[in-house]
Amino acid sequence: MANQKDDDQKKGGLTRRELFRSLGGGALVGGLVPAGALFRTLAPPPAGVQVLGPGKVTITLRVNGTDKKLEVEPRTTLLTALREDLDLTGSKLVCDRGSCGACTVHLDGQPVCACMLLAVDAQGRAITTIEGLARGEELAPIQQAFVDYDALQCGFCTPGMIMSCAALLLHNASPTLDDVKHAVAGNLCRCGTYPKVFEATLAAAKKGGHARG
Amino acid sequence: MNRFEYVIPKSVDQVVALLKGGAVLKAGGIDLLDQMKEGTIAPTRLINLNALAALRYVRTDATGLRLGPTATLAQIAADGAVRGRYAALAEAAASAANPQIRNLATVGGNLCQRPRCWYFRAAEFPCLKKGGPTCFAKEGENKYHAIFGGGPSYIVHPSTMATALCAFRANLHILGPGGKTREVPLDKFFTLPTIDAYERENVLAADELITEIALPAPPEGTRSAFLAAKERQVHDWPLGEVAVFLTMRGETCQAAQVVLGAVAPIPWRAAGAEAALAGKRVTADVAAAAGRAAVAGAKPLHGNGYKVALMQALVARAVHVAAARRS
Amino acid sequence: MARKVRTTVGYDGHFKDLEVDIPEGEPAPWDARSALTLVSQRVPRVDAVLKVTGRAKYTYDVHPPGMLYAKILGSPHPCAKITKLDLSKARALPGVKAVWSEKVGKKLLFQGQEVAAVAAVSLDVAEDALKLVAVEYEKRPFVNDLEKARKPDAPQVFDSGPVPPPRRVPSGAEVTHAGNVRTIVATQPPGVDIGKALAQAEVLVEGTYRTQVQTHSALETHGTVAKWEGDHLTLWSSTQGTFATRDQIAEALHLPKDRVRVLCDFMGGGFGAKLNAGPYSVIAARLARDARAPVKLMLDRKEEHLATGNRPDSAQWLKLGAKRDGTLVGLHLKSYGTPGVGTGAGVSGPARAIYKIPALRTEESDVFTNAGEARPFRAPGHPQGCFALEQAMDELAEKLGMDPLALRKKNLKNPVQVAEVERGAALCQAWRGRGRPGAAKGVVRRGVGVACGVWYHNVNPATQVQIDIHNDGRVEVKNGAQDIGTGTRTFMAQVAAEEMGIPLDLVTVRMGDTSLPIGPGSGGSCTTPSIAPTVRAAAYQARLKMVGVAAKLLKAAPDELEISGGRIHAISDMARSITWKQVAARIPGDKVSVLASRAAEYQVFQEQVGGVQFAEVEVDTETGQVRVRKVTAIQDCGRPLNRLTAESQVNGGVIQGVSYALFENRQLDRTSGRMCNPNLEAYKICGANDCPDIEGVLVDVSNAGNNAGVSGIGEPTTVPTSAAIANAIYNAIGVRMRELPITPDRVLAALHKGGGR
Repeated sequence: MANQKDDDQKKGGLTRRELFRSLGGGALVGGLVPAGALFRTLAPPPAGVQVLGPGKVTITLRVNGTDKKLEVEPRTTLLTALREDLDLTGSKLVCDRGSCGACTVHLDGQPVCACMLLAVDAQGRAITTIEGLARGEELAPIQQAFVDYDALQCGFCTPGMIMSCAALLLHNASPTLDDVKHAVAGNLCRCGTYPKVFEATLAAAKKGGHARG
Repeated sequence: MNRFEYVIPKSVDQVVALLKGGAVLKAGGIDLLDQMKEGTIAPTRLINLNALAALRYVRTDATGLRLGPTATLAQIAADGAVRGRYAALAEAAASAANPQIRNLATVGGNLCQRPRCWYFRAAEFPCLKKGGPTCFAKEGENKYHAIFGGGPSYIVHPSTMATALCAFRANLHILGPGGKTREVPLDKFFTLPTIDAYERENVLAADELITEIALPAPPEGTRSAFLAAKERQVHDWPLGEVAVFLTMRGETCQAAQVVLGAVAPIPWRAAGAEAALAGKRVTADVAAAAGRAAVAGAKPLHGNGYKVALMQALVARAVHVAAARRS
Repeated sequence: MARKVRTTVGYDGHFKDLEVDIPEGEPAPWDARSALTLVSQRVPRVDAVLKVTGRAKYTYDVHPPGMLYAKILGSPHPCAKITKLDLSKARALPGVKAVWSEKVGKKLLFQGQEVAAVAAVSLDVAEDALKLVAVEYEKRPFVNDLEKARKPDAPQVFDSGPVPPPRRVPSGAEVTHAGNVRTIVATQPPGVDIGKALAQAEVLVEGTYRTQVQTHSALETHGTVAKWEGDHLTLWSSTQGTFATRDQIAEALHLPKDRVRVLCDFMGGGFGAKLNAGPYSVIAARLARDARAPVKLMLDRKEEHLATGNRPDSAQWLKLGAKRDGTLVGLHLKSYGTPGVGTGAGVSGPARAIYKIPALRTEESDVFTNAGEARPFRAPGHPQGCFALEQAMDELAEKLGMDPLALRKKNLKNPVQVAEVERGAALCQAWRGRGRPGAAKGVVRRGVGVACGVWYHNVNPATQVQIDIHNDGRVEVKNGAQDIGTGTRTFMAQVAAEEMGIPLDLVTVRMGDTSLPIGPGSGGSCTTPSIAPTVRAAAYQARLKMVGVAAKLLKAAPDELEISGGRIHAISDMARSITWKQVAARIPGDKVSVLASRAAEYQVFQEQVGGVQFAEVEVDTETGQVRVRKVTAIQDCGRPLNRLTAESQVNGGVIQGVSYALFENRQLDRTSGRMCNPNLEAYKICGANDCPDIEGVLVDVSNAGNNAGVSGIGEPTTVPTSAAIANAIYNAIGVRMRELPITPDRVLAALHKGGGR
């Protein structure tokens, strides 16, 4: 949870208020952080606590059933780690704030937005991405239903949309239309695939998508 | 996002010590990462509160309901006991954000999140809440801003959980330096934007940690409901929301707690509505009177007058829904 | 050899013969009598498996070895001059490989305009580096409000530098420019006196309507990956115009066209915003050249909202007159809209195209403002124009005491659309059972409304398709344009396989590559009508060559043979046959190769496509919330090539229309001029629970004009939706909503003011 006191007030000798005041005349410096203030060193933490970073640390992620070792900074999101380090580019970045669901992956079977989750925090969890749904060339029922019902257009929201629907089917063998709508309430599609997403998911459930999503 | 050190604590005391050293708490991280991605804050040491697994729980016992600060919204929304005896809380938890976020976001984080005001969230606006000189909402685009308790900042408190938890008279257990603990009733936790508190929304000190959210056991005959009005029926911040907690004897309301959300810089206790309900049989007229009383004294800005009518209706409906429920 | 052919044209029981002139090398048009087995069926996309498995590679997913990540620093001000710029600290940050910037002294005209950029080993490092770019700005007066910008003393957006030329000026129109306002005045017929015409009206309605700025908000942001090999530049670009991008980049970098190759295999949505290369592509190419490494530059969501296009807002005043019997006599339309620093705020399309209006005067103004440029957006001008015109038609019908459909049917230009109106009315139970406006009772009131829309039959003649039949029997169909998600790749395979009489799985489609034959930019719904007939022409010619080879093998004359089910056989004797693969094996050389060009359009039955939509809404009169429960959408597009994907286009148009009607609004801060909601949280697009039930009906029109009889369907389906919703709300509550988006605050205000009925 967020700490209430904005601990970041003092930067390079300027308080935030002073900083803003200095910008009042129309000058603006880069991204609003004074030059040279990219990293402020704090006093060392108490003994006995583990400190990761700020540089790269080695982590292990269990992705689609396989352990993957990689080196990331603590600030690296799970989405970036999957895409840039593991070359799993099915999950997309769209809003970068958890509003759109294009980066949806499963964490221990639950859908989460990988853009708002640090990669280091995903250690020890079972991560499933869109690349992990099919068995070889055999599509999962939900994937096949998306193909059959044309539940995709440009396809950019599709991996996230499928992961939300697959999570629904994992937990609910016979969802209603309303269940499907609520399951994808965090997934935005700009092309307008929703009606066919609903059809496809209900059809996949009927065909026994429960077992595999 | 800026670079940071990520600290894995082993105990709450370590957490407090780290906070004292200038580190920032991270649980679900939804609100914190949002601010860091916007570049409005750049903390260089984060504490991974999720590492303390013992803080993630939803428990009911004779005294009531106990929530660990890192219990997720999804966990709370799905909990059978919560759904049964604290319906408004389960409904609030299910109403917030979207399924993906509810699986990560925590109740403690939800209570402590910073405003969602679009001026606050953008680095280009040096607003009052960020230590700047002005609340841009007052003269600017304030459709989503406060109709109660505003000035000099007009943010609305974004915590949906707070709206419901206040109605249930939740208490916060807070741990500070030296093992010192204190209890704060939730309705005393949040602060209006007064001169010494522009940059905060509550009384939590920088070196304090919420360790538990405790709700008293609802007496027999109590019923609750939560309603939110949104522009979209998917992930959207509410235009207004209300939690109603009624103590009923038969059809008569003995006591009521009515808390409004997304209309004031703090969860807004609608004392007038509570008075309008106390001792009354809950008829449509009484519910409507509660709605009217709830919005008495509202001071809308140029762009949010609609919230008055909206909240009036929403309160009346929530009262009606709660009263119609079997406890 | 060119020849004359009789073909059947028409729709839905209304057919006739039409003699058309078929150009050389072209097959006769498929018409209502053609029995087709792949085309006009429901065919899952040929690339669907790649999309559902996450294997489809978008520009955003391309990652050549050694690739760097770039990020742009945009102007934080709506109008400012760069007075100081220091890149040294950014350049010195470890991991930064190249920097780019505007020059000191440059005047920036909108928030988000490019100031500087860096390429670095990771996106995080690139972001760190941008924080170290020191820029000082001198803020200049700005204007970003429609009304304020029109005032003579408003800050002049283009006080120096060129003004963007208008996109389209009707012939005979007058163009004037004063201050920030450029006005195009046109009359139809030329010189008609609208005052006199409207004086003949027995009933008049007059009103002002407003619409908001809508951003395209494609899920994949604009972006490019640039890679140099010597002086050859390869760009992967998220684009609706591979060839336009190539040409513009070649010009900007002074490269011959053959040194630039643009690739776009998969593309995450465009809706009109991605027709051109964009500054980011040039910046990416420059950074890549300086860094001597490939560079990826994807815009972030904020930049996407600020700097990559939008549908302009509008304030429209209409005066519409009719005779007592409902015959329209004239329309006077004045409109203003802010295209930012771009152009294209006109809204007169519907006024010109839907109804027979004997006298029309339009005065349309672009009002320049300090905001990102407008760009074409799914049926430019039409949703805005329809929102006003189709409400005015309802108001006129009410004043005339006429049924709104009867008024429309009396004045529609296109007989197909008259039939569509009838079909919709028959399908929409709510329409038949509707009450009088405002007669609904209760807190939540239901209503139903209707609106018509049209779109044009656009073709880009610069379209060529190559078909290679390899000696193993496999067929490649090639065009360098892009599939933006509409299903272009799929219909190309369908059309080729249908024409050649072979199974779909023998065909591979290659597109999204400027080293392939030229194809259209995906604008104006022209992609399908440009490419499909060209594919068919190429397949027809390739088939003739295959038949020629087979004829020798079967010792028959070519015109005695036909192909079906993957076999080439004598028409008179099915047993005298040979398989496609056997013939392919005997191809001289290793393949048959045909390059066909898009033939000119010939005689058509209807010049335009049309549609009608019925919207059913629920209005909560206490909270102001509007839910669209159902939309019945009737639409024609000539011959639908793939009913499955065409349905998706109908759904998509309707849903974007709902989104436009109820949710979307680019909110600019009145004080600072900055955008308040440059994200996908406060800029609200329609989600799953907001999506109505949609009953889409495609009316097949046998239209001739080209060998496939096709028109586009991408744009028209979003045109009437917002107007139909507004009319439905009026039906529900008896109060007219004249401003978009129709949000709870506005509904409550309107109810309060209008008192309901």
